[in-house]
Amino acid sequence: MSLNIYGQNLDSRLLIGSALYPSPQVMKQAILASGSQVVTLSLKRQNPAEQAGQQIWSYLQEIVTEVNGHLLPNTAGCKTAKEAVTLAKMSREIFKTDWLKLEVIGDDYNLQPDPIELLRAAEQLINDGFKVLPYCTDDLVLCQRLYDLGCEVIMPWASPIGTGKGLMNPYNLETIRLRLPDATLILDAGIGKPSDACLAMEMGYDGVLLNSAVALADNPVLMAKAFGQALQAGEQGYVAGIMQQRQTAHPSTPTLDTPFWHQNS
Amino acid sequence: MNIHINGTAYPLSNETHISVSSALTLYFIEPQQSTFAVALNGDFVGKSDYDTTMVKNGDSLDVLQPIQGG
Repeated sequence: MSLNIYGQNLDSRLLIGSALYPSPQVMKQAILASGSQVVTLSLKRQNPAEQAGQQIWSYLQEIVTEVNGHLLPNTAGCKTAKEAVTLAKMSREIFKTDWLKLEVIGDDYNLQPDPIELLRAAEQLINDGFKVLPYCTDDLVLCQRLYDLGCEVIMPWASPIGTGKGLMNPYNLETIRLRLPDATLILDAGIGKPSDACLAMEMGYDGVLLNSAVALADNPVLMAKAFGQALQAGEQGYVAGIMQQRQTAHPSTPTLDTPFWHQNS
Repeated sequence: MNIHINGTAYPLSNETHISVSSALTLYFIEPQQSTFAVALNGDFVGKSDYDTTMVKNGDSLDVLQPIQGG
């Protein structure tokens, strides 16, 4: 089964960031090992004369071409809808894509998205033709509002960016899945372990976006591969149909004619 | 007259205003060969508007380039 993002079918359900790797070479190896076909990136103030941004850009283009993938620019660092909209337009001009990971941060301590500014920005960007993938909290009503605005993809957090704390509130995430059955749901931020990603997929999420969990691993390339496999396992588990939990124990092995069974009773 | 480019003030003598194209040419080497996008006072300026968009005293230009991101 494939991941559908605004009509584009992708073989991998993993979306991966390009930051924090020990080196550009390790970044490339990790992205290739992950199997991901969507790579996030950003913009920052730089003097074009220094060529630093040009080198990174060339390298990322090379990787995305090699995996037949897509760039997903973000609006990291934006705190207002106006900032996010301006940065989005700059990204679209450079990257030639209308896909956008929309981030509007409301608090510096935990980098929690600002729901009010996020909705404002999403509305303006959708009206301007962007295909918005909003990074948001695990608030059901916020996710519903974003979906109603036209965000076909919603990306609630697992926990704050870069914490690696995993799924802080599984109930909220399960409820979003239940209430928005037709939305493409991608769990974004806070993933720490492959089992976190697997759990999201077992809940019926459509994909996972992560960066630090791979980039900061002792062996990013091996961890990228592990995440790719974890997503596959979780997805297959969800599709296969997970058994209902039961309150009492049930023997797996048939007990009829078990030797010595109840011999002394 | 001063304009700010990426937060740094640059003096412009004997000018009341210059185009975005001129400002970029003054302070960046061969910008036409680089990948970047521009905002003026927080608003996006498309490449097709560089020649006709004017920068005045006190204005701020942001010149952004690709970087890794999560």
